[in-house]
Amino acid sequence: MGKVKIKKHSTIIDMTAMSDVTVLLLTFFMLTSTFLQKEPVQVVTPPSVSETKVPDEKLVQILVAPDGKVYLNLTGARDSSVLASDKFRAEVVNRAYGKYCEAHPKAPKLTAVQQQEFSKLTTFGVPFSKLPEWIEMPMEKRDEFLKNEGGIPIAMSIKDGQPNEFQIWLKAIKEVMQSHDLGKDLTGGQGVAIKASQYSPYSLVQVVMDNLQTERLNKFTLMTSLKAEEE
Amino acid sequence: MAKKDKSRQKKFDTRIDFTPMVDMNMLLITFFMLCTTMLKSQTLDLVLPTNDDVNKEEETKIKQSDAVTFIIDGNVTKDNLGNEEVKSGTIYFYEGQPDMENFTLDEIKFGDSKDAIRGKLQEKNKELLVQINKFKQEWKNGTINDSVYNEKVKKARADQAADINAKRPIVMIKPTSNASYADVVRLLDEMQINQVSTYQIETLNKQDSILYEKKVGHPLAAAK
Repeated sequence: MGKVKIKKHSTIIDMTAMSDVTVLLLTFFMLTSTFLQKEPVQVVTPPSVSETKVPDEKLVQILVAPDGKVYLNLTGARDSSVLASDKFRAEVVNRAYGKYCEAHPKAPKLTAVQQQEFSKLTTFGVPFSKLPEWIEMPMEKRDEFLKNEGGIPIAMSIKDGQPNEFQIWLKAIKEVMQSHDLGKDLTGGQGVAIKASQYSPYSLVQVVMDNLQTERLNKFTLMTSLKAEEE
Repeated sequence: MAKKDKSRQKKFDTRIDFTPMVDMNMLLITFFMLCTTMLKSQTLDLVLPTNDDVNKEEETKIKQSDAVTFIIDGNVTKDNLGNEEVKSGTIYFYEGQPDMENFTLDEIKFGDSKDAIRGKLQEKNKELLVQINKFKQEWKNGTINDSVYNEKVKKARADQAADINAKRPIVMIKPTSNASYADVVRLLDEMQINQVSTYQIETLNKQDSILYEKKVGHPLAAAK
């Protein structure tokens, strides 16, 4: 009898300590985590010795996919009383699409519901002509559309001097930020970041830079990943 | 017997089995580990010249002997999705004016030997680097702290940029349309490492294209 009893007790492992450890780890991960943002394409940024961190507010991120498609990602101020991200996006889309409608009077107007819906999307990048259609799509179709048929038209137009769609977006962003007294944050050098794959030809990035220059955004940053300095 | 049973049950009741709790926690941890980015991306600052017309008087004049031009080339291949992909390419360089008589254009590699890019830039930027190394030594010895060190480096750089007679490299980075983005960033990096305060990204001019064609044997790929 005694033998059996001892055996029974030894099979139970006290999990309390284990639980303590896991809870600690969990807390650590929860506090340190910043969620990976869903992006239409994953790119590997080039290594650099630069140690400046990407700001996590008031940032316009330009994502250049390896196939040359360009997407935008807008982040407002952390202090939501200044300019919250969703308000920022709603105002930007309102202005940008308004500009597009001026040139194309036949284009359907954006409804308030659509604007509201758009303000929840972190990354966007479809031609204006497809914008209302894209907003109306269900979530999973939206991502697919962005990847396959997205991309803001960015080619520099030489012939007519009209701004291309990418420049319209930039203009709208600039106006919105200036109207909230944040113009300095945009033009100061830390407000615009270009994210491109290290294997991309430089010409893809150059087009973006040319566009930025046209809109007088001469100071910006390139997103890189950290490389140890060889000394 | 009944009494014995009761007492035994009580003993078991005080133990709570934590195994499901641990299971759940592990799951959550896995979730957070997979969904987080521990490292935030870094950024590299870049300032481009303005597109506005600048008066001739306002243009910055530089000494010919200070100018160093790098031409970045690359081989474009296709990746398995059909997108253009560039690994790393050749870098050519010349000092001063392009040599339009002998058409010399040398290849140069990354690295810190004397003939490589870093060695070249260090040689050109010796005066400033000596100063900065002195500050660095002081900082290592603990005589000055971080902020003083940064301040001193900043001042030394500004002084050099303001002094028209200072010996310093003025770097022109000229990527061809085949250049890889990584190479451009790497070269920009060298500017940071070697404390080059004046550099710019440009497109190849006519003379550069001629030099390139003579060197490589085929004309420059057209810009897209």
